[in-house]
Amino acid sequence: MDIKALAKKIFEKGRQQGLGDMEISYSSGRDLSLKVFQRDLDGYSFSESEGLSIRGFYKGKMGRSYTEKVDESSIDLLIKNVAENATVIDSDDEEFIYEGSSKYKTVNTFNPDLEKVSEKYKINFVKKLEEEAFNADKRVVSVETCIYGDGCAETSMLNTKGLCLNDRSNIAYTYISVVAKDGNDIKTGFAYRAGNDFYEFNPKDIAEEAVKEAILMLGAKSIKSGDYPVIIRNSAAADLLEAFTGIFSAENIQKNLSLLKGKLNQKIGSDNFTLVDDPFMEKGLASKSFDGEGVACKYKKVIDSGILKTYLYNLKTAKKDNIETTANSSGSLGIAPSNFYVEKGKKTLDEIISGTDKGLMITELQGLHAGLNTVSGDFSLAASGYEINDGKITGSVEQITVSGNYFELLKDIEEVGSDLKFGLPGESYIGSPSIKIRKLSIAGE
Amino acid sequence: MVKYNKLHKDRSDCVLNKQLIEDTLTAALSTGGDFAEIFVEDKTNNGIVMIGGKVESTVSGRDYGVGIRIFKGFNSVYAYTNKSDKDTLIATAKKAAAAIEGTKSYIRLNLERSGVKNINTIKIDPESVEKTRKVQLMRQAYDTAFNCSDLITQVTIGYTDYTQNVMIANSEGLWKEDSRVRSRIGISSVASKNGEMQSGFFGPGASKGYEFFENLDINSYAKEASRIAVTMVNAKYSPSGRMPVIIDNGFGGVIFHEACGHGLEATSVAKNLSVFSGKLGEQIASPVVTAIDDGTISGEWGSFNMDDEGTESHRNVLIENGILKGYMIDKLNARRMNMDITGSSRRQSYRFPPTSRMSNTFIDNGSSTPEEIIANTERGIYAKNMGGGSVNPSTGEFNFAVMEGYIVENGEIKEPVRGATLIGKGAEILKKIDMVGNNLSYSQGLCGSVSGSIPVNVGQPMIRVSEITVGGREGAE
Repeated sequence: MDIKALAKKIFEKGRQQGLGDMEISYSSGRDLSLKVFQRDLDGYSFSESEGLSIRGFYKGKMGRSYTEKVDESSIDLLIKNVAENATVIDSDDEEFIYEGSSKYKTVNTFNPDLEKVSEKYKINFVKKLEEEAFNADKRVVSVETCIYGDGCAETSMLNTKGLCLNDRSNIAYTYISVVAKDGNDIKTGFAYRAGNDFYEFNPKDIAEEAVKEAILMLGAKSIKSGDYPVIIRNSAAADLLEAFTGIFSAENIQKNLSLLKGKLNQKIGSDNFTLVDDPFMEKGLASKSFDGEGVACKYKKVIDSGILKTYLYNLKTAKKDNIETTANSSGSLGIAPSNFYVEKGKKTLDEIISGTDKGLMITELQGLHAGLNTVSGDFSLAASGYEINDGKITGSVEQITVSGNYFELLKDIEEVGSDLKFGLPGESYIGSPSIKIRKLSIAGE
Repeated sequence: MVKYNKLHKDRSDCVLNKQLIEDTLTAALSTGGDFAEIFVEDKTNNGIVMIGGKVESTVSGRDYGVGIRIFKGFNSVYAYTNKSDKDTLIATAKKAAAAIEGTKSYIRLNLERSGVKNINTIKIDPESVEKTRKVQLMRQAYDTAFNCSDLITQVTIGYTDYTQNVMIANSEGLWKEDSRVRSRIGISSVASKNGEMQSGFFGPGASKGYEFFENLDINSYAKEASRIAVTMVNAKYSPSGRMPVIIDNGFGGVIFHEACGHGLEATSVAKNLSVFSGKLGEQIASPVVTAIDDGTISGEWGSFNMDDEGTESHRNVLIENGILKGYMIDKLNARRMNMDITGSSRRQSYRFPPTSRMSNTFIDNGSSTPEEIIANTERGIYAKNMGGGSVNPSTGEFNFAVMEGYIVENGEIKEPVRGATLIGKGAEILKKIDMVGNNLSYSQGLCGSVSGSIPVNVGQPMIRVSEITVGGREGAE
């Protein structure tokens, strides 16, 4: 696809129809996914796809459209949609088509070696992954999901102000979920890896991690309701942070949808809590040199030793607050962090556990899309994990809920571990070490 | 008389010619596959967001793609592309076929184009309605919701409509087209008091055109969203512990959707991964429970003329008087299970291979009145409106959020409580449903699972669960 030529035609046609500045984003990519069930490659999927989105001014307002049928036959409809959509906008917020930053930092998001791994090798890997899970423990009765996938994506951004940016990245991921059974007791455990170095994936390690999670949960019981000191293990803490990332968005601040409004430069977390958005992070799976509006990305501490330093901005919201954008536009709509993580502390998880007299460690949280209120910060989530007595894990716990308020939790962080771990990447790549909270409310028996 | 759905065919690019379909299917079967299918989608989307009474963003656009699926025994291959020219389709089909090891299967293709019985009549094509009219509707919802109370500080209205044209053809000779139109509006109100915020939401939707909005009492939904937010900002935290819970009709049906529905999808049943695998004919729920998955209800959000494999939608009885009667089964899992398909194979788009999913899933009416249920409850929680939830089908562990809850005491509804979450195991909770009301109603939602996010109805009359774990921030009861 000669995207420059197509862009030129779109811009010409747009001008003829009365559009002002315009910008297009074109993405194309390939994906592969391999699924194994009972030693059989039972699912094999691949795709080659592309899409084009456009935004542009019409009578002073910004309209948007997109198409997945990327050819000249779509031009008229795209332009018609942009004009029509702009016409109904009545927000007074000023929008921008950006001419480009003076300098862009190079980030390394493409690993040519990944494109050279043979399919046979990948199939062997995912079959081995399943086999290792069955080998790890005889109580493993089935492997629910055993998947390997990879993909490569390219994006071009061009506008009538002369901006012309390109970006390319690739990624591989693997996920396994196992079922362990002991008598009538059934438990599941999962593990995953993501990155663009295939050879870092070790099937034995990944399978054993998933199996260990399931086996340790066998025999789990509910516990007595009450307030407990709670260690939220790294991946669960990252999941919780991910569910609340919206509170840092300037869009939500300006719309009165975040309680962090008016809290800049105030203490909102404990001293040991520092939250970073680093688009240049080594091996970061949301690393990028420019954001969704073509602005050069920036490193920033959102919370520094408990003090709220900035919100996450795009051009529109930054203009409203009369400051520079933090380059966190996530495309045509919205604001999102890049590699977004809690800075690690000094203590290992074991040290934090042994410093806990009586409490709980939460290893998994469920219902994060439903059981929390990002506006109030309240959460009440189904959870599982381990009971801690006299500094030792004494048993596993299930069928409990953990409740609290995220804004209060930030102030109640007693310990931040050294075990920083990231979740599966999406628009953002979010990570946290294990954190210990002074107390949270647990409902069980 | 059978009516055929012809809407938008003129604008759609999703009908390929017979020769191209046959060539693609033949290429797909060139290495020994025993079934091949082609799915073409051409979809127009419209979305408008209004925040604080102003239209903040509008997007409209076109999704377009082709998916090719091949089976060999229990194994499947899936590929998709955005292009539908002959070279791309044949190359994609061949590349997909290359993943199957075998020799050419001699399947005689005999495509026969047939119509689909139309259950969702579209009166006003949403594409024909001016955006300004859609905005007027949103403004009305906004004004009503915002002016409900001084405590309402923000209202967000989301409007969507889409027309999804699909063509499905397969090596068994099936060749069908359909057009699916859906319309929905979401109202989200936020109430603030003393630095705290709570929200309320309502999102009515249907498999209808713009006539859905013209016949909708939008003000009553807007008022409900704000009423919930205001009630909750004035509520204290929910107590926690095990107690009886009364769950009201409509979106309360999310309990069945999570606690049981997902566990009855062939996706997990076929591989023996569900707690309900191999339990047909057994008593899995209390005798007062009858549950149905019905994709044939005219105009409902989760209804469809044909599923994404081209099978007409069915009404499937899942549980009758507590006895497990059936599962939801797609073509591929039907092979593993050696059972019939149930018209339940769905997908978000051409980007996903279809699999068994829910449509409009509900607990059927029972014999109690809502008043009786409340009057018979000494102490517990009344969940008037539910939020979303999730489930692990292997263990049956589910959780869901109560959006609007109240304390029940001595047979009466008392003060509101916020922040309650209900958790449990599906197999256990089904046996603890001890009263079922007679006020069945449906609510709309989007269900996310392996084949993407799809529109579904949940539903039930008021029910009572004799004991369930309630998670709240107040100490134990």
